[in-house]
Amino acid sequence: MAGNTFTRRRAILLLALTSVILITMDLRGSALINLTRSTFGILFRPVESATRVVTRPMQNAWNGMTHYNEVVDENHRLKDLIAYGEGANISAIASVREAQELLSLNGLPTLAGISSCTGQVVGQSPSNFSQTVEINRGSECGIKVGMPVLNAAGMIGKITDVYNKRSVVMLITDPSYSVAVKVVNAPPTTTTTTTIPGTVIDPLAPVATTTTTTSTTTTVPRTTTTTGVPGFTPGVTLATVATTSVPGASPQETVATGSVGPNQPGQSTKSPITVPAGLDLPLRETGALEGRGLTKFPVVRFVENQTRFGAVSIGSPVITAGGATSLAPPDIVIGTVSKVVKRSGSLGPILEVSLAANLDNLNFVRILLYQPTTERVSAP
Amino acid sequence: MERVLLIAENKYARLLLVGLFFLALQTTIFNDMRPFGVCLQVMVLLAASAGVSRGSETGAIAGFMIGMQYDLVLTTPLGLCAAVFAFVGYLSGFAQSFVHDSTWWTRMLLASGASAIGMIILPFAFTLTGATGVLNAHVLVVALVVALFNAIFSIPVERLCRWALAEPAGTR
Repeated sequence: MAGNTFTRRRAILLLALTSVILITMDLRGSALINLTRSTFGILFRPVESATRVVTRPMQNAWNGMTHYNEVVDENHRLKDLIAYGEGANISAIASVREAQELLSLNGLPTLAGISSCTGQVVGQSPSNFSQTVEINRGSECGIKVGMPVLNAAGMIGKITDVYNKRSVVMLITDPSYSVAVKVVNAPPTTTTTTTIPGTVIDPLAPVATTTTTTSTTTTVPRTTTTTGVPGFTPGVTLATVATTSVPGASPQETVATGSVGPNQPGQSTKSPITVPAGLDLPLRETGALEGRGLTKFPVVRFVENQTRFGAVSIGSPVITAGGATSLAPPDIVIGTVSKVVKRSGSLGPILEVSLAANLDNLNFVRILLYQPTTERVSAP
Repeated sequence: MERVLLIAENKYARLLLVGLFFLALQTTIFNDMRPFGVCLQVMVLLAASAGVSRGSETGAIAGFMIGMQYDLVLTTPLGLCAAVFAFVGYLSGFAQSFVHDSTWWTRMLLASGASAIGMIILPFAFTLTGATGVLNAHVLVVALVVALFNAIFSIPVERLCRWALAEPAGTR
């Protein structure tokens, strides 16, 4: 009996010791552990694929039972969204193209200049405590650990493990995930309309009355710096557009008479372009986005409590900040601010971020083959 | 051929094959079926059932092997689930040794309880290895749902473990 107890204790001790050794080796990035995992993955993949084929009907039945109403509702919602988004998409594409041209003209890096690799999500982590998905592209495509992964909506995560034909993506909601971001806070604006005295607006008058209005976008009082470009005053609409009130039309509806409008011979110095003042541009503040698990929104910490930046408004876009050490290039959309938790003293607020990408339904993803400048291997 | 049969006669070799089958189920159907947002854990059920059916020592070794298989498909440190599942297997076998005349429902309760404890210990083990944010109230929901599910399936899985971990006829 004593010998039996001794054997049992020895077995338990051996198991515990083996676990500790393996954990230590793995945490220190042992190549042997990686090789073991990779080999097991190669052997296990056919078994998993076969099981997936066999269990597919059961999965479909389960999804039919549990998600039918959600899918119908989502289908309706998506149809509405498509109709809504089609128009906006065209103008957005034009804007993005212009912005990219502008950036490239100025020699600034753009997302369009970064090579990418498209992959498909083939599985997610079967664990309740880590948010990862597996994609069907690996090192053969040039993927390396740390590269950012996005879908059509925005950033979804980063690569944490790379094998030959598959990779593991840590989702942005994983508690271990962190990335430098910037919050774009729109400055508070007020629009004042000045009507030149001497003109009378009579809505009942049968004859069209000509009024002259000047729209000026102003912000909270700040020092305005003149850029020195002749003929341009920052923040001021340069052209004075004559408008004519049309009988029967609403007060907002105006028709340009064209008498002093743009593109008139001899009027080249007058332009309808509004040059925004430098300080009226959207203000940006950087911070660090951290995941908090699947059930909670990620948060942005370390946002400075600056008077100039002002209070962060709900809905402000959150985009990647980039930088020499950041694993993601600048200006990838992450989401919008959904909640602002103010803190006392000089501590900046904590911002909860509603992600643009829906992490529950990931299918095709794009891996940006981007490495920060500090990690690029320079040519000999 | 004889060598293959000899290997197949080994109880742990059989358990490895059963574990591989359960792992395939875990990464496919149980990965998609998430009642109350919880991923069901059949691997921990297998470890607990091994302990209930064959005692604490066999349960610990079986749990270690099952956990190791699970670790190989997860991104968590290798050996972490192995250690936790070994504890689950040991615990269920140890608790079973206190039951005087075990019935189907006592075995079901033991497997369910051991699974729940395993699901609570797992995030603690993750935290010990440096993971953050895994220790929250959601752990209790996970433990409860996994315990309920594992209670339902514990009887057939326990019988499967009893068969897989049976000693070869000559050594009885």
